[in-house]
Amino acid sequence: MLRHIFGQVKKHPSLIPLFVFIGAEGGGATLYLLRLALFNPDVCWDKKNNPEPWNKLGPNDQYKFYSVNVDYSKLKKERPNF
Amino acid sequence: MAAPAQLGLQNAASPIMEELIAFHDHALMIIFLISSLVLYIISLMLTTKLTHTSTMNAQEIEMIWTILPAMILIMIALPSLRILYMTDEFNKPYLTLKAIGHQWYWSYEYSDYEDLAFDSYIMPTYFLEPGEFRLLEVDNRTTLPMEADIRVLISSQDVLHSWAVPSLGVKTDAIPGRLNQAMVASMRPGLYYGQCSEICGSNHSFMPIVLEFIYFQDFEVWASYLYIV
Repeated sequence: MLRHIFGQVKKHPSLIPLFVFIGAEGGGATLYLLRLALFNPDVCWDKKNNPEPWNKLGPNDQYKFYSVNVDYSKLKKERPNF
Repeated sequence: MAAPAQLGLQNAASPIMEELIAFHDHALMIIFLISSLVLYIISLMLTTKLTHTSTMNAQEIEMIWTILPAMILIMIALPSLRILYMTDEFNKPYLTLKAIGHQWYWSYEYSDYEDLAFDSYIMPTYFLEPGEFRLLEVDNRTTLPMEADIRVLISSQDVLHSWAVPSLGVKTDAIPGRLNQAMVASMRPGLYYGQCSEICGSNHSFMPIVLEFIYFQDFEVWASYLYIV
């Protein structure tokens, strides 16, 4: 299957940018989905040991993928602890 | 508010809306360039007497029209994602306002002050003074301080509504049983009009929103006056 694809690519080199962009887009989507599944505090995998991870948010953690103006490491915690 | 027959976006009153207008201009320019190029090529193809009937091996042009659109899409996506994350940021709001949708009016609660709440009905057309705007004026305007980050918590008491103020770049659904948060900040004093943006019954077009941004000292006077009354 892969050999067939390589044969086609050698005959039509314009397929290379197509594979590059589609691969980057598919890989990027998969990686982002994995990031959301593993690091998003709204997701609970382990019901016994970590049942509600959204209750354990820290004031200095950045949970979003990209922060434009807010520097999370400089924020202070202003709420009382439970 | 919009001028008569206005097609474009309203003037920005908040930094987020300025970013949105700039992004809209950027994306629209790309769209116009691509559309005019395509129209020109179509006109060339329809007005030529040349023909070519054999299959062509066109590796170079295939490469160009794969890489170039991908670059253009990246150029659109990166500013778009930046603005998306920017609208989601919440920087220590000075004031919290609750905007609750009803059929067919909005009610506002300033819970930072004790017992400051009022309803905001549309001003019927026969009550309008000369110079006021039909279907946009309300009896009690929502007064807010300018140059302050204000958190608006939006919900509904019955059906779906949507709290929208185009000048500030805000449109957030009011969903019964759910609190949605939006940030509003105006750089200058003034009146900003909006309308309910989710179909909610017969008077859906008749529940406008008017935000009145005033100077900070005047806002404190207004809040204390209403509180005493």
